[in-house]
This record gives sequence, C-alpha cells and structure tokens, in this order.
Amino acid sequence: MDFDFTKEEQKFSEEVEQWLVDNHDPEVMDLTRENFSQLADTPARRAFMQKLAKQGWLGMSWPKEYGGQEIEGVYEFILNEALARHGAPQIGKGVGIIGKTLIRHGSAKLKQEFLPQILSAEVEFAVGYSEPQAGSDSANMQLKAEKVDGGWMLNGQKMWTTSAHFADWYWVGARTDPDKPKHDGLSLFMIPMDHPNLEIQSLPTIGKDTTNQVFFEDVFVPEDYMVGEQGRGFRYIAEALDLERFTLFTLSPIEDRSKLLVQWAKEATRDDKPLREDPNVRRTIAHIVTDTQVARGLSKRFLSAAMKGDKPPSIESSEYKLFTTTLSQRVCKDALDLTGAAGQIREGQEDAPLAGRFEGAYRATLNETVGGGSSEIQKNIIARRKLGLPKNF
Amino acid sequence: MDLALSEEQQMIVDMTHGILEEHCTIDVVRQMEDDPKGYPEALWKQLAESGLTGLLIPEANGGGGQTLAEAALVYEKFGEFLAPVPHFVSSVISARLLLTAGNDAQQAEWLPKIAGGDAVLTPAWLEPNRGYGEVGVQLEAKADGDNFLLSGVKRHVYFASAADRLIVLARGPQGVDLFLVDPSADGVTLTQQLSQSGDAQYRVDLQDVRVSAEERLGAPGTGWQAFNAVLHEGIILIAAQAIGGAQKVLDITVEYSKERVQFDKPLGAFQALAHYMADSATHIDGGRVLVYEAAWNASKDRSISRFAPMAKLFACETYREVTRVCAQIWGGVAFTIEYDCQLYFRWAKQLQLSWWDTPYLEELVAEDVLKDG
Repeated sequence: MDFDFTKEEQKFSEEVEQWLVDNHDPEVMDLTRENFSQLADTPARRAFMQKLAKQGWLGMSWPKEYGGQEIEGVYEFILNEALARHGAPQIGKGVGIIGKTLIRHGSAKLKQEFLPQILSAEVEFAVGYSEPQAGSDSANMQLKAEKVDGGWMLNGQKMWTTSAHFADWYWVGARTDPDKPKHDGLSLFMIPMDHPNLEIQSLPTIGKDTTNQVFFEDVFVPEDYMVGEQGRGFRYIAEALDLERFTLFTLSPIEDRSKLLVQWAKEATRDDKPLREDPNVRRTIAHIVTDTQVARGLSKRFLSAAMKGDKPPSIESSEYKLFTTTLSQRVCKDALDLTGAAGQIREGQEDAPLAGRFEGAYRATLNETVGGGSSEIQKNIIARRKLGLPKNF
Repeated sequence: MDLALSEEQQMIVDMTHGILEEHCTIDVVRQMEDDPKGYPEALWKQLAESGLTGLLIPEANGGGGQTLAEAALVYEKFGEFLAPVPHFVSSVISARLLLTAGNDAQQAEWLPKIAGGDAVLTPAWLEPNRGYGEVGVQLEAKADGDNFLLSGVKRHVYFASAADRLIVLARGPQGVDLFLVDPSADGVTLTQQLSQSGDAQYRVDLQDVRVSAEERLGAPGTGWQAFNAVLHEGIILIAAQAIGGAQKVLDITVEYSKERVQFDKPLGAFQALAHYMADSATHIDGGRVLVYEAAWNASKDRSISRFAPMAKLFACETYREVTRVCAQIWGGVAFTIEYDCQLYFRWAKQLQLSWWDTPYLEELVAEDVLKDG
C-alpha cells in the first residue's frame, strides 16, 4: 500500500509545474473555460503545444521506434493534471486516441504521415463518432461509406464534434458494412477537415464554447485513408479508450474549484458576520472537501490499476468518472447556493462573487455527466462488468 | 503509487477471514443479539490466539506491533461478518489510551492482558444529554485527599459486564481525567440498555466511587487530549468496519438480484435496480480508498486530523445509504427478521450514530478546513 508518487514522478511533477509557471500566458491558459480549456484551438494555444512538444512531453508513452520514450503512462497523467490545473491545453486526442491507434493498426503510409506531426504538435484532430442517432448508443452510427473506385464515398451527418471548427483532420467512424451486426459494420477514416464537401455548423453551448455538427455530402476518401481493416472500426474505438486510460477526465480543476470556494467561505461575510460561522456553510464545505478527497482516491485507484497493466481498468475508470463528474457539478451548485442571490451575476460582471467563476462553471460543467459516456452508461458498465448483472438494455 | 496489499497484509486479511468464517457465522451473530455479555468466548479466544487482540499493541508490551493500515483491513472483515467482539473498546481504544497516557506500571499491568485477550477494558465516555466534545464530559471527579470520588452517569458503555476495568472520562479539578475503575467496585451500577443492533451496551451509574490517583492515566487535566487523539485513530477503523459491512450487504444483494425473478426477468436486469447497485459499488470503492489512505497516513505518522473524520463521515453515510437501497431490492423480505439484510440495515445506522456522529464529524472537518492559516 503506497499512496504517494515515486521520487522520480514527484520530480517530474515539480518540473512541469515550474515550466508552466515560467511559461504562464493568459492567452493560452484560461481556467474559466473549464473542461474546454483542454483544446488547442487558437494560434497561441497551438504554439504552446509546440513548445510542450519541444520539451519532449508529447508521446512519452509511445514506443521508441515511433519517437516516443516508452515511459510509464503515469507521466502523461501527471502532465495532464498539471496542464488542467493551469487551464492550459492538454495532450489529448492526437497523442492518445489517434496516435496510439495508428501505431497498432495504421498502415506504414498513415504512420509516416501523421505520427511525426502529432509528436511535434503540428496537427490537430477532431473526432467524429456521435451522430443524431448515435449518442449513448455509440455503435449505432449511420454515416454511410459506400465503396467506389479507389476509395469510399461518405454521406450523412455527425453531431457533437467538439474540435471541427479548428482541427486539421477528421477521425471518423462510418458504416461500411450495413448488412453486418452494428458493432461489426463500422470502419475508421481520416479526412482533411477542410474538405469542400464537409459542412460544419456551429452548435453553441451554454458554456463559453461551441461544439459542431458536420454534414457529409459525397465526401470522397481515398482507399489508403481508411484506418486498419474494414469492419473493425468499433473495436479500434473501444480499444483506444483503454489505451487512453492515463489521460482521463482531469480532477485538478475540481480540486482547485473546491479550494477556491473554501477560501471564499473563509473570507466572506453576510450581515457583517463571517460566513464561515454559518452551520450550513460549514456542513456544505465539510462534504465538498470530503467528496473531493474521495474523487482523488478513486483517481489513485484507477491509476494504480492502470500501472499494473495486466488489464484495462475500465471499472475503475467508470467509477471515477461517475463520481467525479457528479461531484464537479455539485461543487458548482453548492457554491451558487452559498453565494446566494449574488451567485447569479454573470461571469465577467463587476459584482459577481469570485469573478463569476461558479456561475460560469455551473453552466460549463453540465456536459460532464453526459459527454464521454453518460453517468447512466457508466453505471451500466459497472453493473455488468463489476457486479456481473445481466444485460439490462 | 500502488494500492495493492502487501503479502503480509493479505495474510492478515486471509487469517481474519478464516477465523470469522468459522467462529462468526450469521447464526452466532444472531445469538449474540441482546446477550448480556455480548460476545462468544470461542471467537474471542481465536482472535487472541491469532494475535489479533494485540494487533495495535507494541511487541514490547506483548502485542503484534502492527499499524492502523493493517488494523483497517481487519476491521473491514469485522464489518463484513458483523463480528460481536469487544475488540474496538479493548484492543483499540483502551490499549491506545494506555499507550498514549498510561505510566509504565499501568502499561505493564494491562497491555499484555489486553494483547492476550485475557482482560477486557472499555471506555465510559458519553453522558445523558451531553455532546461528543470535551465539554460533554461532566461526570464529577471530586478530590478527596489522595483519592477521587466519581459521581455521575455514563451511557453507551460497551461490554461493560465483561470488563475488567472501565476507563472513565471524568471532570477533575484541572480538567478531563481518565480513571481506571473496577466495574465491581462499590458505587458502580451496570444496567444493560438494548440497542438498535442488539450489541451489549450498558448504562453505568457511579455514586461516590472511590479511585486513587494511581488509577489516573496521565497528568491531571490531560485526559481529553489523549482520548481525542485515540478516537481519531479509532474512527478510521469504524469507517473500515462500515465499508466491510456495506460491501457484504451489497454482495448478498447482487447475488439475490440475479436469482429473484419478476416480470420474467432477474431483478438485476432492471436498470433502476442495477443502477442502485452500481452507485453503491462506486461509493463503497471510493469510501474504501479514503479509509485506506487515512489509515496509511496514520501508519506514516502523518496528520489524520482531517482524514479521519472524513473517512468515518463518508464511510458511515455510504453504509447507511447502501443498506437503504439494498432493502429496496430485497423488497418485502428486507423487512423480516428471517433475512440477513436487516442486520446490516440496523448496524449501519448504529455505526453512523456511534463514536462521533455525522454533525460532529462535519464540524471536525469544517473546523480543520476553515480555521485560520
């Protein structure tokens, strides 16, 4: 039993922290974007990722033959938690989902084209899985890919493609084999995001950011931009989630928000009395602090399981995600309850308590219990894989 | 970071499990309900022979010299088996009070006996209509020459009828003191009080009970400091016990939900019920890792002033909530004496109310978080 990081891991953590302080840039780091701050969606933020790449911090866990360092994934975990704590863009889809899938299943051509660009942060990706009829039922993608001479013709629609408005390449699941069972009929494709037959429509959210829907009208994809084998797309998608296990939903911004609220509660007054003497405030704070520690424990639990490496810690990940995203929203809700009527003053307005951080976060975190597998999907996973209950949907 | 148990820790878990499986069946648990003594001799003997009664007592005093990290694993098992034993009051609270505050002679007299399971000591702490903090200790210790006369009422004194000594928290001239009191001494009256779980609890009336200054643990007025520190350690183990109980009741409920069929489907195939169980599993796993980290911190001599109350707060809330939703899955039989679900339901609430309740724990956490600095 050991709850501490090793000396080497702690040293790395301190090194990253110092580097982030030295490279602080308000244009790049914005905590108030909450979970969206992980995106490298502006020139300044892309330049930041390239600096990060020069540090050798992208693809650390990749095999050496592809430019990685073959070090333990825990370092990517530490890096991402630190980036998230500063509101900086995170290592994400490129290094994780796309890079790791290409390394395992991609052709020599795709590896050569994309892996070096991913390591140097010269390419940004959008991931297109979700569709109007494929939300939680993610294998139900209907985007049609028909075989044509020299490649595939794609027609249909994607939803919730977060990065479509700034990415260079689109990583897309499409149905190549409509007669096969739904999990076996999907294949993965790579498409330049500026393809003239893709139409991107912004879908603004109640947070600060936008997501997108993307329409495909006769989008031709050459044969060699199909990833791996035809019909194995859904397996690759599921496998990538396991490969991605060290760079899950980050906890440090939630810990930070809890601390922010505690600091506020220590200093705030109402009717000239210190708010921290209010029993309701004390009770609320006690539970937030306790639950935040539980979330950190669940994080250590999946990390410990992931480092063992014998099997993907899917149950640990689901429990962590379920608990932590629920907590994240509750911290915001409790913060608004404690700040009272003033809590509603919009972020950025002069009189907003805590600069409106919680007013903004209350809106921005709504997606956390939905995106990346809703709470109910996580519970289904736990019920079936951990408890061995019968399939219930 | 590696949250797995060491080989030695796993051995302690397996050994404890083996003893409880044989000597602490659910029949034994049921037989002990409302029993005046409250624990089965055979089980206690086994715990003593295996060294578990001396788990937290240093080797020099006849114990095993283990840390709270190992003890938490044992208490998880106690929770799982609803073990009716005076281990907590004697081998944890009393032993640690002697170690913290006792002098050499007191330690030499009692620690080897506690470690060997040959003596049972139990604290007499809570008083009617008083709270959980220092101010709640008002039972009077009046100086009378070199002696003290103790008068007042204590409640929730566990296993008092089997105890060789009570450790009475009393208000002396300089503050709270701890006194070793023989429960058969003149002026001591024990009255069994039936509890929600059916464990052996006593009301203890003291009327001018004479004790000498030699029976006081520690310097005058330092009793609360010692008790407070020891109880911080202790509640981590109560939290572990809660997690063990919650895990067990969830396990038997999951099994039942696979067998019991309604509307032509096993109950576990209904999402409403499956999600209850998934939520329970998540909270239990979260609570367990919190408890382990608290215990591990204690074993590393790091501060537990926040971790300990957080662990008991979360673990006992979880246990109570898990028993509530499990009862929903058992349906009508949850309500009957015959089925075991109700045992956990009663124990869960009692654990939550005992050894610092939810509001007191919330306050301990809040004070630690919100204090200046």
